[in-house]
Amino acid sequence: MIAFELRFNPNAALLRIVRRFVSSFYEGVLTDEDAISRLALATHELLENAVKYALDGATALSISVEPTPDAAARILIRLRNRAAPEHIEALRVLFAEMGRYADPSAHYLAAMERSAKSKVGSGLGIARVRTEGEMSMSYTIEGDEVSIVAEARIQSGGSR
Amino acid sequence: MSKIELPVIAAADISVSAEREGDAVRVLFRGTADMRVSDALDHVLGAVHAEAQRCGAARVDIDFRDLEFMNSSCFKSFVTWISQVRELEGEKRYAIRFLSRAETLWQRRSLHALRCFAVDLITIEI
Repeated sequence: MIAFELRFNPNAALLRIVRRFVSSFYEGVLTDEDAISRLALATHELLENAVKYALDGATALSISVEPTPDAAARILIRLRNRAAPEHIEALRVLFAEMGRYADPSAHYLAAMERSAKSKVGSGLGIARVRTEGEMSMSYTIEGDEVSIVAEARIQSGGSR
Repeated sequence: MSKIELPVIAAADISVSAEREGDAVRVLFRGTADMRVSDALDHVLGAVHAEAQRCGAARVDIDFRDLEFMNSSCFKSFVTWISQVRELEGEKRYAIRFLSRAETLWQRRSLHALRCFAVDLITIEI
């Protein structure tokens, strides 16, 4: 398994640098350019979530790439940060929306329809990671600590 | 061609410019569209929408070929704008054409999603 964890206080200006860093990491361990692009997008979206909603700014980003018997690589992206109760509730709502749609594309379209009418926030990041990133998503909450995990399996030929 | 004045986006990583070209409005994006510019992008697209209606444009071209990345907040700005165009009646409605780069892989997925949102309005050129 190849893995790393960053603990930092990301800000908007730093995100571009981190996206390029994680892209380089994915390029180092995967060969599938489309998968690299999807994972970089997913990582960026999850980090932006942390920038917007982390209570104290402190965020832990961990990424692991591990071989599996049935696929070339299993990718896990995990973001942990503290969040205010209203943001935790908003996250629950977004994941509940996701749970209503077995089809990621249908979920994304529904999220876009909702978002088009919303004045505040996009609420599209989770749907985008799931659909464009082709990742499965889950979350856990312990007290005020939120952990979001995005997982993808990159098929044979996708990893170095 | 005539240049169209747009609200300024005060960020170093992105520039947006627009011009009229026949019966089309062409909007060029360059750089990175992230959370720092989504509010400004709402204003830019609002200005594009107003100009397209004012001049009776048949089409608005959005040129993403030099756009490195776009986050979900900025993506939402496009969703909102496209939704407004979708709600226009008859002759007021204009077409939207996205110009993209095949090598910039996120564009294929994001633009496909936008096209699904308004399939009768949007075309994508690679």
